[in-house]
Amino acid sequence: MVFLMAWTGRFVLLIALGIVPIVAFDQPDWLGLWLVLVALVGGLDLLLAGSPRHLKLERELPDRVRLGETVTSALLITNLGRRGIRGVVRDGWQPSAGAAPTRARLVLPAGERRRIETSLTPFRRGTRRAAQVTVRAFGPLGMLARQATIDLPGAITVLPPFNSRKHLPSRLARLRELDGRASVMIRGQGTEFDSLREYVRGDDVRSIDWRATARRSDLVVRTWRPERDRRVVIVIDSGRTSAARIANEPRIDTAFESALLLGALATRAGDRVDVVIFDRRVRGRVQGASGPELLSRMVSVMAPIDPELIEMDWSAVPSIVRSVTSQRALVVLMTSIDAAGGARGLLGMLPQLTRAHTVVVSSVTDPSVLAASMSRDDRDNVYRAAAAERAMLDTTRVSTAIRQLGADVVTGTPADLPPALADRYIALKAAGRL
Amino acid sequence: MSGQAMSGQPISATTLTPTIRVATRRALYWVVAAVVLVLIAVIVLASAGSSTTGVPFSPTNAAPAGSRAIAEVLRAQGVDVSVPATLAGATSALGGPTASTLFLVDPDGNLDRAQLRDLASRATHVIVLSPSYSQIAALAPEVGLAGVVSRSSLAAGCSLPAATAAGRVSGAGSGFRVLDTAANTTACFSSGTNTFSLVDISRGATHITVVGTTAAFDNEHVAQRGNAALALTLLGGNDRLVWYLPTIDDTSAKGRTIADLTPAWVGGASTLLIIVAIAAAFWRGRRLGPLVVENLPVVVRASETMEGRARLYQKGAARLRALDSLRIGSVSRLATLCGLPRLATVDDVIAAVASVTATDPAAIRSLLLTADPRSDRELVRLSDALLDLEQTVTRDIRPS
Repeated sequence: MVFLMAWTGRFVLLIALGIVPIVAFDQPDWLGLWLVLVALVGGLDLLLAGSPRHLKLERELPDRVRLGETVTSALLITNLGRRGIRGVVRDGWQPSAGAAPTRARLVLPAGERRRIETSLTPFRRGTRRAAQVTVRAFGPLGMLARQATIDLPGAITVLPPFNSRKHLPSRLARLRELDGRASVMIRGQGTEFDSLREYVRGDDVRSIDWRATARRSDLVVRTWRPERDRRVVIVIDSGRTSAARIANEPRIDTAFESALLLGALATRAGDRVDVVIFDRRVRGRVQGASGPELLSRMVSVMAPIDPELIEMDWSAVPSIVRSVTSQRALVVLMTSIDAAGGARGLLGMLPQLTRAHTVVVSSVTDPSVLAASMSRDDRDNVYRAAAAERAMLDTTRVSTAIRQLGADVVTGTPADLPPALADRYIALKAAGRL
Repeated sequence: MSGQAMSGQPISATTLTPTIRVATRRALYWVVAAVVLVLIAVIVLASAGSSTTGVPFSPTNAAPAGSRAIAEVLRAQGVDVSVPATLAGATSALGGPTASTLFLVDPDGNLDRAQLRDLASRATHVIVLSPSYSQIAALAPEVGLAGVVSRSSLAAGCSLPAATAAGRVSGAGSGFRVLDTAANTTACFSSGTNTFSLVDISRGATHITVVGTTAAFDNEHVAQRGNAALALTLLGGNDRLVWYLPTIDDTSAKGRTIADLTPAWVGGASTLLIIVAIAAAFWRGRRLGPLVVENLPVVVRASETMEGRARLYQKGAARLRALDSLRIGSVSRLATLCGLPRLATVDDVIAAVASVTATDPAAIRSLLLTADPRSDRELVRLSDALLDLEQTVTRDIRPS
């Protein structure tokens, strides 16, 4: 039963040493004698090896990790057998879990417990799994080993990295400016009545509320604050075009980054954010969460979602938005607007949405296309530049069509799109168009 | 994450690697299946072995190519047919004092000249079937080979009793020609000028018959025409018939093998080396547990459509189309630079650019609208000119 055991280079060397008696005594019988000797030595070593079956295994594993970060996964091994174990342990993680080191030496006397630590640096979003633990226990001579694979499942959820959170402080500062906490209050569009207070010098005389002043003996001014409790509905396209990679990042990951930044910003601004991830069915939905819970729910929902290789069903989007809210809302569609043919469904559906809501379409542009359109040093590159110009023209035409239908377009490279979308949100909020 | 919980769940360990007992039970089916297959193969080979074509002209072979029919008939007629397996057996079988016939069939040329002469000298009557050049040179130098005879039947045409008894025989086989006309020869079954399928050479008390009509002696054709009469009369001439088919074991050439030249330990050492190689392969190839599978996402670069379109332009030499794409991009950027509205026409852009750069509007118009590139070189030149124009306009509008 060879698959229950393993052997080392020492054992191979022992077999090879048989050449010495065979040549020295020059008798063919020595081959058989030597093989019998090898079998005896090996059998003894195997018999004296500790049993990897009499082990108790436990995992200590964090539930979640952000993509790009490193966590430690620990394996607790208790030896319940009578003999000590000297050998090698491998914790069987999926390759993209980024486990290191993949195997560890183990010296475990009978009745004792050891902790083996593996650092995990996952390089893919989603659920990364461990399936089993394999233990190879060598005999005292270090020649033959007993090997067993023990079922020990484990899983860790790898969350979207939210790298764009570095843009959050500056955007929050601008939001506070808008809110009047850092600056003077501005009366105008996008603000609503907040409260009445006593006039102090420097207040705009136009904001004096004469009716309230008449009721009291002091001058009273009205104060204003930005609109609050508006609805933001983020619809993320998880169809086939979202699988395309731009700057080695799938479009859907950029969409997640943008959604997280927008969600963080909007929930701090007092708006209600709902997220729907959709292709032909709803793949993920976050509704009714606010504050820190919103971000936590968003990353949990987004973590396991990969793009499906099917076409996005735009005709179902208006009813999905209706199911989220019946109020006027800011609807952000995160998709791609590369070609007129591919955007036909989007363009056909847009009037239904723009009638009731403010709509922003966000799409990632490829920085390599822009670079290709500028590099024209030889014949091949000139043709590439021509194709790049054509691609940019297509995008421009679709954007124009979307704007004509009453929606707004935000485009940017994967690094630029999340802050650009956040800026557009702040601009819309300042303009009172929510 | 700050709020992550550490889960240390106790696991009821399930060992995936089977125990020896379980593994044996699982493997049992396949072991039994393999044994049964091997048994079936052995039985089939053993039963089919006799039904293959076998040795041609063997007196024990009942297949179409064998000659068991003739041997059995001769035995029934009281002829003592002996079938020696070795040269020594044939020599001793011919050793008796009674007159004996040797029927020699050696298509592979296993016997050398000396062995043939020695064997032939012991028999009263030697019949050689379809001899090769060296065999005919050793046994019957009076006769030479005359090539292949492909006639369907041959007439006797001589006074040899066997031939006259047969009358006509199947012709397929080889023919001979008599070289030494002084010798006492009888040539039968002529198939053309001086070509005979049977030549009998008389040498006093003994005589030798060279036979080329192979068809007359095998089971398949022996019943046709006078084949049986020829074969039976020829072979049944004496009471003793030695039917000898030399094998590879009778060859005289015995060289030294490699085993004689190498030391005794070489065999054992090379066997050990093979074992070491297998052991080393197992040592290096043994996995530490099975692979953990995962589904990988599809990787599609978004710029792939752009690259594909570029190659299509290039393959189809769509120079004007490619240039037009570049022009549209340049015109829209120039319009933005010159501060023209979005709906401005190309003529407006040309006029604006000409006034900004103080150049001839016709040249700008040719570059932005009318020039048709005839070759790739021209295309590259126009594309460079477009970039130059954009840079010039940028410089002229926003002096640094």
